[in-house]
Amino acid sequence: MSGHAFKEFKINWGMVIDLDKCTGCGACMTACQVENNIAPMVDASNKMRTLSWMLVFELSNGKPAPEAEVAYLPRPCMQCGHPACVPVCPVVATDKNEEGGIVSQIYPRCIGCRYCMAACPYHARYFNWEDPIFPKGMEKALSPDTSTRPRGVVEKCNFCHTRLMHAKDKARQDGGDPEALAEGAYIPACVEVCPTGAITFGDLKNPEHKVHQLSKSKNAFRLLEKLGLKPQVYYMSNREWVRKLGDNYAAGGKPGAEKKHS
Amino acid sequence: MEEKKQCKGCWGALPFVIGFVAAVIAGWVLYPDLIYSKKTQPVNFSHKVHAEQGMVCADCHTFRDDGSYAGIPTNEKCNECHSDVVGTNPAEKVYVDKYGKTGKDVPWLIYQYQPDNVIFSHKAHESLECTSCHPDMAKNDVPPTYYQNKLSGYSKQTMRMWQCERCHAENGVSNACHVCHK
Amino acid sequence: MGLDRRGFVKFVVGGVAGTLFTPVIWKGMDDAAKWSQNWGWIPRLPKGERKAVPALSKLCKSGCAVKVQTVGGAPFAALGNPDNPMSKGGVCPICAGSVQLMYSPARVAGPLKKVGEGKYSPIKWEEAEAMLVEKLTPLKGQDGKIAAISGDETGTANEVLSALLAGLGNASGYCAMPGEMLTATRGVKLMGGAGQPGFDIEGADFVLMIGADALDSWGASVANQKAFAASHPTGEAATARFVYAGPALNNTSGVCDQFVAVPPTATGVFALALANALISVGATCSAPDFADYKALAAKCTPEVFEKATGLKAEVLKDLAGKIKAAKAPLVIPGASFGQGSGALDFVAGASLNVLLGRVGQKGGMTLLPAAPKALSAAADRAEAKDAGSFMAQVATGKAAPAALIVYEANPAYALPQAGDMTKALGNIAFKVAFATYMDETASLADLVLPAPHPYERFDDAMNPYGVAKPTYLAGKPVLAKPVVDAKDPVDVLLAAAGKLGLSLGFETYADVIKAKAKAVGADMDTLTGGAAWTGEPKGGSLSLGAAALAKAPAPKADDKAVALAPLSKLACGTTELACPPADLLTIRDTELKGKDLFVQMNAATAKKLGVAEGNKIKLTGGSGEVKALVHVNEGVAAGTVAMLMGFGHSAWDQYTKGKGDNIFKILTVSDEAGTGMKVWAGSTVTVAKI
Repeated sequence: MSGHAFKEFKINWGMVIDLDKCTGCGACMTACQVENNIAPMVDASNKMRTLSWMLVFELSNGKPAPEAEVAYLPRPCMQCGHPACVPVCPVVATDKNEEGGIVSQIYPRCIGCRYCMAACPYHARYFNWEDPIFPKGMEKALSPDTSTRPRGVVEKCNFCHTRLMHAKDKARQDGGDPEALAEGAYIPACVEVCPTGAITFGDLKNPEHKVHQLSKSKNAFRLLEKLGLKPQVYYMSNREWVRKLGDNYAAGGKPGAEKKHS
Repeated sequence: MEEKKQCKGCWGALPFVIGFVAAVIAGWVLYPDLIYSKKTQPVNFSHKVHAEQGMVCADCHTFRDDGSYAGIPTNEKCNECHSDVVGTNPAEKVYVDKYGKTGKDVPWLIYQYQPDNVIFSHKAHESLECTSCHPDMAKNDVPPTYYQNKLSGYSKQTMRMWQCERCHAENGVSNACHVCHK
Repeated sequence: MGLDRRGFVKFVVGGVAGTLFTPVIWKGMDDAAKWSQNWGWIPRLPKGERKAVPALSKLCKSGCAVKVQTVGGAPFAALGNPDNPMSKGGVCPICAGSVQLMYSPARVAGPLKKVGEGKYSPIKWEEAEAMLVEKLTPLKGQDGKIAAISGDETGTANEVLSALLAGLGNASGYCAMPGEMLTATRGVKLMGGAGQPGFDIEGADFVLMIGADALDSWGASVANQKAFAASHPTGEAATARFVYAGPALNNTSGVCDQFVAVPPTATGVFALALANALISVGATCSAPDFADYKALAAKCTPEVFEKATGLKAEVLKDLAGKIKAAKAPLVIPGASFGQGSGALDFVAGASLNVLLGRVGQKGGMTLLPAAPKALSAAADRAEAKDAGSFMAQVATGKAAPAALIVYEANPAYALPQAGDMTKALGNIAFKVAFATYMDETASLADLVLPAPHPYERFDDAMNPYGVAKPTYLAGKPVLAKPVVDAKDPVDVLLAAAGKLGLSLGFETYADVIKAKAKAVGADMDTLTGGAAWTGEPKGGSLSLGAAALAKAPAPKADDKAVALAPLSKLACGTTELACPPADLLTIRDTELKGKDLFVQMNAATAKKLGVAEGNKIKLTGGSGEVKALVHVNEGVAAGTVAMLMGFGHSAWDQYTKGKGDNIFKILTVSDEAGTGMKVWAGSTVTVAKI
């Protein structure tokens, strides 16, 4: 890639999503929308225009009835270790330079060129085609945690970053170390509401956090691993067909194995 | 002939110079006045009076249990002492009649106003003196005039991004975007 | 010296040059940039102290115990309450968007009086309450003249409604909207028991759900999901197997270890065929009617099973083997969409628990004792009439109420053959709707009385359907005052009762709940603080229900029609609530495109019907028809068309009105043999390409 070096951080906030536990109920998407002040759209079936920082995909094993199976795959921003969106931004509105490895997106700085959207292979970035207009009164129920975005800018999931800031403040208040948060002190909204606890969240580098071990289990994989973007979001499934789909599959390879990219 | 020519040249630059000087004066003296609207606080609050009672900043400007900062106190806090008029200062009566008793929050003007996309943690800056960013209010008897930019709506006294960044850089603190933006 | 043109130009140039040495341009540009980042029409964020207030959101059927997040006193989000055993920190998709629903454009802002067809004029509460009393006064004491339909399965408000009707001499007018609760209590009766059944998913090591969408829209879904999660620890071996047998791959089956595609018309056959397979591998029980049951089950041979379900008999054998090997198997019977299946389908499924000796066992099926009442004059919940049957009587003139009280229900939308129901409502002279939202029924009512949103009122939930133990939750308002001019319906009813010369012993719903909590043995303050009260299930045994099952008719073979499988997805709303604005995103573009709803079928069915992906089709059944697009989904059972519920609203707001079509229009109601219940889970439709 270009001259952008891979930045190492002491903390890597990440998720391990157990696809065998996701029922696809949509509570994560709803909670995300509420937490991040995404205005409801009258025609939300137009998926070219919707803003879904968290999106639950439906996967199918492609087999005819009665062997058919489905799995649901929640897709937040992958917070790539080597993000494709960052180097293409002409105005540094998006960056990966904060401890924890969350890829930032600054709306007032964004010029809406959408290069980052083209670069992101996970379709995790969204463009505001409309101003955030809430039905009358609903703006009173805005969350204080995420600024509203005007039309013309790109936005994406940031692991509910404001919650991280609050968790750090709470740690400081309680005399703890804001740079060594205990597991569970900071979790995004989607993780918190999930009724089946399908998403485990924590510091991937901290052996005391569950995600550290889970991300290394034999059924863990990352999406499109062969691209070498090193996402901080891992998935796991006991079903081989699900793992194969996760790599959007290069035939003949071993599912879940990291490909050397040339 | 030559003398006259010289003189003409000299006089010829005069309109330019006048225009230049007038613009400079207008730009430096009149313009700053013009772009701000002056506002006064809804209650003529005296920090001095309160400080003289032996109160310290943290008596009203407190941290909450979750580490967030209460900022300007709410009516609830003020009413702890001022549920009714206790002194003779007319400003107190304004507060009690207009806000304290009606339950309407005082629409204080925030000198350090920051837009919605900024997140600032007082807790993280707790080791610094309040006065490194805020004016020293303890001796202040009359709240300073609030200057609001007519175009941007920002307070004139507020901190700008470069000020935050400079201090962060000087102290080796991260200047990553999400450290201050949400 | 005069100023000539040349001099003027020099002056201007000087002025411009001078400006460059002042902050005017630079500062102006900077300010303009700031201005452009803060457009005035973009809403601003609230500020203030943040709190988390425990509350009970009854927007979903079972109720979610949540913690409402507030900033400066204003609610903005609902998160889970980890301390509550029902939700354990989880939130369902509806309640996750519940705060935004306080400001739904569909909210009824104040009392409304009908002044013409579809026209309403706002009135004052005094006038509205006087009108209610005035309309009910002449009907007092005339049995059959006043009726009430409640869409709330769990609230003590039902006791108030029932006691009010009884006090007005109209005890028989109390009706409940159809749901699993109604079906199951009837089913338990047929099995020689009494009370509401419960299912201990948490304690089971093998859970077979026959139809019941237990991990999404059936029963206490969040509690069920938590129980599933506990048995499937991430990164470790699962301690329980979950199998879903139903008409289509749905959210529940998405995480199940096995999915068995059973057409909705073959649910009973599937259960009995499984019983047969279990008996043949040695299952036996001491129930007095075992011999009869065995004989009945023997009729459901593997051949009958294959014909009815389109599946191979090996599936059955394999399943029976796994159930037999399990230590604590549990069978959960139910309809794929939470209603409309008959008591016999319930008995067929539940009898497996009896056969396996799982009634009253840990991880088995339990029976809940009748909850103590706050109002002694109220009827038991099981005594409520089924609103579907009642409205059918109204349609044919067999019942002729002059006044109908609708409490948190939407019969005009959510009863089968919805078109007929709307007409039947027209036969009732005075209809009063206690409604939070302007739904289809409120849009037909003569008086609409706005009810508060769950975060603006006291409410409670006794034994949400499916819980294994008696469970009681209560909530108090988060906001001191509703955001619209709403009044608690129970408070209004209690006041009306007083004016009608009837003393029910309470003045407010809060007092009623306090009494209920006391009767149950719980502390109201602890409950409204976010805790839940739980008791113990009662003992007792059940028969296999063989006598009732013997009356079940053999499924009819109809080659022209296909089975219609209504699918319920909680995020698409409930029978009482249209899809919340914050949940619209969750609807896939293979489910709804613009205003067109997709129906789903597998490729074989599509081929048989001569339709292909994306075709526009017409489905005819019951007394109506709906239009939809075809989506080929291999996860749908053989010979079955699956259609999502919750669409085709003609009221509500811009987010839901006119989107898709209402499945209730094409569900066919029939009388269940032996029980006389109205059933529609086995509906069939004909499909035509248009």
